[in-house]
Amino acid sequence: MADVRYYDVRCVRGEITHVDIDNGVIESAGTSFFDKAVIRVLGPKGWGFLTRDHVDIDSKREVDALVAAAARLAAVTADEIDLADAPRGVLPVPPLREDPRDIDLEEKTRLLAGIEAAARIEGVANTRARYTEGIDAVRYLDSNGNEYSYEAVRSGFSVLAIASRNGVMQMGSERDHITTGFNLRGKQDLGRKAGEVAVSLLDAKIPKGGARRAILDPELAGVFTHEAVGHASEGDLVREGASVLGGKIGEAIGCPGLAIVDDPTLHEFGFMPVDAEGVAVERTEIIRDGILRSYIHNRETLAAVGNGIAGHARAEHGAPPIVRMSNTFIENGDAGYDEILAECRDGILLIGSRGGQVDPGRGVFQFNAEYGYLIEGGETTDMVRDVSLSGEILSTLHNIALIGNDRKMSPGYCGKGGQSVPVSDGAPHLLLENATIGGRGE
Amino acid sequence: MNGEDLIEQVLREGERQADEVEVFYYRGESIATEIKKGILGTAEESEAWSMAIRTVNDGRIGFSSTGDPDRWKECLDAALASGRLATPQQWGGFPKPAELAGTASSADRDLVVAVEDAAGMVEDLLAGAAEHPVEVVGGGASLARAYMMVANSTGTLYGMDRTAASVSLETIREQSTGYEFDASPFRAELDPRSVGEQAAFLAARSLGGRDIETGRYDIVLSPIAAASIIGQVLLPALSGRNVKAGRSSLADKVGEQVLDESLSVYDDPFAPGLGSTAFDAEGVPTRRLVFIEQGVLREFAYDLKTGYRYGEASTGSAVRSGGEPPGIGFHNLFLDGPRTNEPGDERAVWIHDVVGAHTANPFSGDFSVEISNPFWIEGGDLTEPIRTAMFAGNVFEMLAEIGGLGKDARRVGRLTIPSIRLNNQQIIGK
Repeated sequence: MADVRYYDVRCVRGEITHVDIDNGVIESAGTSFFDKAVIRVLGPKGWGFLTRDHVDIDSKREVDALVAAAARLAAVTADEIDLADAPRGVLPVPPLREDPRDIDLEEKTRLLAGIEAAARIEGVANTRARYTEGIDAVRYLDSNGNEYSYEAVRSGFSVLAIASRNGVMQMGSERDHITTGFNLRGKQDLGRKAGEVAVSLLDAKIPKGGARRAILDPELAGVFTHEAVGHASEGDLVREGASVLGGKIGEAIGCPGLAIVDDPTLHEFGFMPVDAEGVAVERTEIIRDGILRSYIHNRETLAAVGNGIAGHARAEHGAPPIVRMSNTFIENGDAGYDEILAECRDGILLIGSRGGQVDPGRGVFQFNAEYGYLIEGGETTDMVRDVSLSGEILSTLHNIALIGNDRKMSPGYCGKGGQSVPVSDGAPHLLLENATIGGRGE
Repeated sequence: MNGEDLIEQVLREGERQADEVEVFYYRGESIATEIKKGILGTAEESEAWSMAIRTVNDGRIGFSSTGDPDRWKECLDAALASGRLATPQQWGGFPKPAELAGTASSADRDLVVAVEDAAGMVEDLLAGAAEHPVEVVGGGASLARAYMMVANSTGTLYGMDRTAASVSLETIREQSTGYEFDASPFRAELDPRSVGEQAAFLAARSLGGRDIETGRYDIVLSPIAAASIIGQVLLPALSGRNVKAGRSSLADKVGEQVLDESLSVYDDPFAPGLGSTAFDAEGVPTRRLVFIEQGVLREFAYDLKTGYRYGEASTGSAVRSGGEPPGIGFHNLFLDGPRTNEPGDERAVWIHDVVGAHTANPFSGDFSVEISNPFWIEGGDLTEPIRTAMFAGNVFEMLAEIGGLGKDARRVGRLTIPSIRLNNQQIIGK
């Protein structure tokens, strides 16, 4: 195989357990099985990938045949790829406080039903809760003789409440996912909160769109970090010329004191013991004191772009690894919440996230809050709903006026290139000057 | 063991332990070539295999799936175990074998899943993009062929081929980006060169946009922008499951005028398209469904489970992908109506796409999104680019009175939709 400069094989075999309860009815509760493999071959120039169900990684004959097939694909590529050297090593997986496999499906269903029932307060017309548990057994080997295996266990749930009155429908939703064990006990509070938010939104106002001061709560500020900075710092986008942060290393792109980090070693929902191309994981400081310091990379983008470290390659089961965020956050500043509120005086407080999206090439992002409050004279007043925020990556970070000291991380899933991976993001409360608020009020 | 033999074995074994059994079998192959920095960067070949099993015992529905043929017994056991936990419901049985009323048009006999063909499509994309001064940052071409079967213990067994060809291209010029795509079951229907040209045009022509003041404007949503916003809000409201669960604001409005009287929304499973099929994902024969006729709400979509539970008939609307359980969906959805005023004749803000449509409130219909590649349009021509802005509104309110539909209907995913003029909408400038 003269035309094979490098290959690796990554197999993920495992189980997914779901429980879905809709308005008190157990819609489904059960386990499904998967067994996916991706074979990557670096040919004379670029990559050939094969994805398969059910590969026997211990069979040299099978692996050789797959590598040869991937090499034929690689032969048609024209992009000249090199791989940077990178440190190897696998971190220990956090111990499970309670292994979800030791708990039968009946108990999981009963606990989830308790959370779902807690959301059904007066005024709520529909409740729905879903439990998701994933057990991944990962095995990896490459042509340099590296091999590793580990097991990842994820457990969590989401709960949705819809309140309805005179044709007006509003929702509240909560979720919690962890990598450190079973996660359904003692969570009824989150169900109740989803119900309460849905009901109180029935009376919320629709805010007026336009530029004003905004306070972002830690969850929404986390999404802001992820959308406004995280994606644009991904080495593949930088390499392809698709990020406004390309060529900006060493430049001040944010306010003094601002630090933004991606850290896959933290035992949050984006934790990974080793990345998807066998590279040891490490913390990357993307921004330090407002200055762009690093991109996040895999081996290929590190070789092409520089500035940063590899170890940020991630993949959904059965998909080739790409550069992804893991646990992404703004580090704590020193402002207390009351100080932020007082400094804001008149503006809007935005809470929770309904998701966001970014066009990293244009440098424009948008995300939506679950709800918010108007701020008048340094105090929160009326509740508002359906409020979003948009901005431009290169100017918005300069508009951070105060950074709080109360960082919290929130788990979620991030989509890129058709692949979804578990992540977490977070921040302390932030005060933003001149934020573009989208709302249809007048 | 090939798929059919395995299905037979699972049905036989399952019948011994459950009242009824259903198997959904899928195998597919695909080739994808991706563009990196204006040249062919990666080539990927995928083979997928999955089998999903449903069992029914006294109205308790169980489900499991596997990607490993050797684990079929474990999968059947998991389906039975899952059924023991499910809440029992009214159940009238899986569909018996039936004469299928229509013919699907979703497989291209001439489509070959070959890397050379995909690489050729990439060349055409790049040749199209070369017509404007832009950088190509990404995109690609893919070719896929799949075979799927649904079979149950009442003797129903249907199988079908599906093919798909798709292309996309992402371009940039300074801080102006452009994205275009197309997909079809039929390779010959795709014109990669013109997709490439259009993606490049958008980035090149959007450069140097002027600011727009916050205010009320007449706008034109391109088919892509319209599909993004409408897909997030209107389509879930037509699902019978959301209707019965109290998650659809259209729930009690059958017979009422819910959209502009020129608008109709229907699912035509026999029209050519990526979702074209004569039977649904549970083996129920499909039919043409008119959800909204000239603005009046007529019916909702149901699958077997929701139908039996609430005393409604399945509308043949079950869909699923690979190893997922079936759910209510659409096969080839159309938003359509008579063309009277060309939407872009009178001056308006034309919106190519939006960023963040998935953050819309699917229940209330309220949304506020960032707009992509907006232009002033007049006399049907894009006259001047606009820098950036947000667009906020309510899907149901904005579709209650429209200002015209374009002759430019196109497929965006499973929805075929024209451009739509909407007068007096809220734009938030920066």
